[in-house]
Order: sequence, then C-alpha cells, then structure tokens
Amino acid sequence: MLIPHPLLGPRDAQEFTYLGDASLLNRPDGMAEGALAAFCDYVYLRDNPAGVHRELWFHEQGDRSWLVVTRNTVTHEILGAELARDVALRRQK
Amino acid sequence: MTDLSPISALGHAVPQAVRIGTLTITENAGLALASLALRQGGGAPQPFGLPLPGPGGWANAGATSAFWTGPGAWMIEADGRAEDDFASALKAEAPGCSVAEQTDGWAVFEIAASVATLEALLEKLVNIDASRFVPGSALRTGLEHMSVFLIRRTEGQLALWAMRSAAGSAFHAIEAAARRLDVA
Repeated sequence: MLIPHPLLGPRDAQEFTYLGDASLLNRPDGMAEGALAAFCDYVYLRDNPAGVHRELWFHEQGDRSWLVVTRNTVTHEILGAELARDVALRRQK
Repeated sequence: MTDLSPISALGHAVPQAVRIGTLTITENAGLALASLALRQGGGAPQPFGLPLPGPGGWANAGATSAFWTGPGAWMIEADGRAEDDFASALKAEAPGCSVAEQTDGWAVFEIAASVATLEALLEKLVNIDASRFVPGSALRTGLEHMSVFLIRRTEGQLALWAMRSAAGSAFHAIEAAARRLDVA
C-alpha cells in the first residue's frame, strides 16, 4: 500500500505507524462544563465505519510527520492525505 | 593516565573500505553532522552561505551540505570536521535556531558505482522509487528494520547515514546486497 505523503510523494505504508481515528485530534477542553462525560466519549468511543474513514498515521521511518489519511476501509483505497498539523491549525481558526 | 585509542564507527583504527568490482563502499569518518531546526515564527537562515533545501532535497555549497529531514528541520554535513565542535560553529551561523550535535549518533557510508549499479543496489535495499531518487535528493527510510538517511550526491554517488550503534549491521547489509549484484 502506498500513502500519498503531501510533501514527499507516494511512500510505502511500511514506513508508517497507524494510530487510529483522526477524531483524536479533537481533544475536549478539560476545564469546560461536562468535561468528564466528554473525555469518557473521547477516550473510549469510536465509530467503526465500513467505508470512508479519517485516520492518523505517523511517518516513523521518514520525516516523522503526522498525517490525516482518508481511507476507504472496504476497498483500502486511499482518497487523500494531509499533514495533521494543517488540519489542527485550520480547526483553531 | 589512561591510554585511549580512537576507533571508527565500525570499530577499527582506520575507516573501512570495500571494493566489489567497480563499486566501492567507504566509511567516511571525517564528515560532521548537526541538526538544525527553526523555532516557531523564525525565518530560515543560510548557514555558511548554504541555501536550505525543500522537502526531499539535498544542497551543497563548498565543504558544507544540508538535507531536509522534516518541516522546518535539516541536517547539516561538514567535510573533515567530525573532530571539531561543528555544532557550535553552526549555532553561531544560525542564531535563533535549535542546533544539536549529531556526529556521535550516526555513521556515514559513501557508495560509488555506475548509475545502473547504484539503482539496482537501491532497489535491493530500500522500498523507494529509485528512478525518482535523482541527484540532489535525500530521504529517510527503513533498511532492514534500521532507520537510515539516503542522499544521492551525484549520479554515481550515494551516501547512507546509519545509526552509529548499528553501523556494523548497516555496512553488512550494503555489502551483502552489493555482492549479490554481480557487478563487473
């Protein structure tokens, strides 16, 4: 499987480590009202879609960047990849 | 007084070299390495007049070279300065950046051969597209479960930075692959 790295082009998936659902980027505010329930959902609850899924991959044997990879879990087709940093910065705005 | 004798990364008194037909693998014990990283909001410096390359690139100016290792991060190489405090010299050239000494953590092997031989060797050793790995490219990848930096210096020259603690394993891996190439 090749992952289309946004900076380096197609790279072998063996160079990457899989972390899981990209919703891990959306860490709840620990000081907000209802933080306990929000953290319980954040830590334990995941969607398990048969289809398009956004996932975090770490380019461990490469440039050490975190990527958000959009992948179809049924066909294993990779629909896109972007730097997790860009995703997180865009959300902050 | 303790009598200490310096040894190279492969454990010998002098750097090792192997010749297999027209292919040579040489341990380069004189090349210094230091990492350079930008701090948030800082602009990219030009240490020793060296333009820092973009993603996947390697640039050379005189006795100093740089290769990209990640967003806002590079490794800087300096010929013949492995026994100097090269990191301090780089720090002075790149104010406001993070600089760390790396020479002691890595060992570099220079591989010289014809273009066809080098590409055949790359195809045996690493899972990258050898035809896209043109002169002036550098990347990090896995080689027999070891993390290495590869640099294509010219058409016929390839450098491989391996972890110093695994220098013997990396050298063995390159040599074993090269011997199976059937190089004339």
